[in-house]
Amino acid sequence: MSEQIREQVSAFLDGELPSAEAELLLKRLTRDAELRESFGRYALIGESLRGGRLGSITQGFTSRVNRAIDGEPATLTPPGAKSRVSRGWRSLAGVAVAAGVAAIAIVSYQQRVIAPVSLADSKGAAAAMAQNVPGSPAVAVKTGEALSYTVPQSAAASPMLMPAARLTNYVFAHSKYSAVMGQNDVLNDLLSEADAEQPQSSEASQDSRAAP
Amino acid sequence: MIIPLRSRTAWLVPCAMVGVLLASLPQRSLAADDAREWLERMNRALATRNYDGTFFHLSDGRVETMRIVHRVHAGRVTERLVSLDGSGREFVRNNDELTCYLPDQHTVLVEPRQDRGPFLGSLPQFGSDVNEFYHIEALDRSRVLGHPARLIVVTPTDQYRFGYRLWLDETTAMPLKTQLWDSHGQVIEQILFARLDMPESIPDSDLTPAASTEGMHWVRQGPASDPASPALSAYRASELPPGFHLTVAGAQTLGGARIPAAHLVYSDGLATVSVFVEAPRVGAPVSADKTEPAPEPPLQGLARVGSGFAFSTVVQGHQVTAVGEVPAQTVEFIAHSVRSLSGSDLAAH
Repeated sequence: MSEQIREQVSAFLDGELPSAEAELLLKRLTRDAELRESFGRYALIGESLRGGRLGSITQGFTSRVNRAIDGEPATLTPPGAKSRVSRGWRSLAGVAVAAGVAAIAIVSYQQRVIAPVSLADSKGAAAAMAQNVPGSPAVAVKTGEALSYTVPQSAAASPMLMPAARLTNYVFAHSKYSAVMGQNDVLNDLLSEADAEQPQSSEASQDSRAAP
Repeated sequence: MIIPLRSRTAWLVPCAMVGVLLASLPQRSLAADDAREWLERMNRALATRNYDGTFFHLSDGRVETMRIVHRVHAGRVTERLVSLDGSGREFVRNNDELTCYLPDQHTVLVEPRQDRGPFLGSLPQFGSDVNEFYHIEALDRSRVLGHPARLIVVTPTDQYRFGYRLWLDETTAMPLKTQLWDSHGQVIEQILFARLDMPESIPDSDLTPAASTEGMHWVRQGPASDPASPALSAYRASELPPGFHLTVAGAQTLGGARIPAAHLVYSDGLATVSVFVEAPRVGAPVSADKTEPAPEPPLQGLARVGSGFAFSTVVQGHQVTAVGEVPAQTVEFIAHSVRSLSGSDLAAH
């Protein structure tokens, strides 16, 4: 992401980009999948930083964030790996790859531990989540520094994966009564269905793990 | 058949839903009063105005670009939501029917939506206890998309629900930016408009799906024709997180299932959790002349779905799944507490 684009994205997320420029950025984002991924990461990182919930953030952390925004995660995936993943899988692969970077691990820590797991594992996950409380930023930053730790357990690698199709049915039925989980979330869920059903998930996440 | 115990709204982009519900929160203070007024304005705008906008939906580290077209013409509401990122997915809602075109999955889903009354006419009524669990306030002006905007913040008072921030256009009260955030202050979902027009009229062509339906598999998920069996209907959450109560008890035939599941809806006035109780799919009696597909193992565990969570477990041999736009611990709490209750206990829950 170039400095200029980053500034634009930053201004946009802060609501400070004039609408004419926002529209240009939108057009660009619509065309450019890679930029979109960076944008998604940037948004999450930005919100977490702005939210001030991470407490004291070290210089090293900040620079890692910057590298993440600049697309470093992409280099974690060998060129061959990308061609093997289908379109539906790509977005999840993006998340998995990005999770190899400290900043993403912190931001998405909860999302990682709550990937579909067996009942027994979920207790462990809940315990892990319980530790991730506000006011303990040191813990979060520390987990980010251990690169091996930040590579998530692939959702699809779990033998107890909740079948996406059945999940989708629940969510669809729920959406009718849901205030917040409107159609957009049904759409979301259908998106994750496409992701979760791709068998390459564990392979891809191993790819990201094995890469330098 | 689902019997709503309280009237509920059904559809719109999530921000609209938040607004509809938030606006009906009881008043608490001058600031809350102001916030409520803003949200009511937003409701009116979302429900009654024509608009055509493009927004980003950011969730779970992903960003999806979408276009929403909303038209109110001669008392009919038509909406179209299109994914612009290449999947070609589209949702089109006419007054009473929702059609989801999923070309990348070669599927079209159709579902009747019966609760189609005017949004403002179907605001849920909440007890004053909602105030115990959310704090609502209007904060300072800021700018979004170059427009002056007003920030409305809804803060949950415990860890069983999510909070919201909404930036409303000062002139139109349309939500230019919305966020769903967890108790750690982390944003878990964000919607951000990049372009939002409010034209006088919208041509049909803007509401016609672009997706080709050739060779698509059509799935019609209708309302359940049968009630759930008495055994299933006896299930309830025996305990609930503070503030949650039963709003709907009914049945729903889920996609892929043959027998209706019991469908319970619990709400704290803003967040909603559905609980599905299903007879075991394994070893179900089958007629001799039919080939039964391979039995499905019961689901167990936690999954992230959209901006919320689903948690499945097995209770007394029945599959119990709780789904909602709430933290993981809320769906787990509720699912684990589900029991088959006898008559008097059932009445109490």
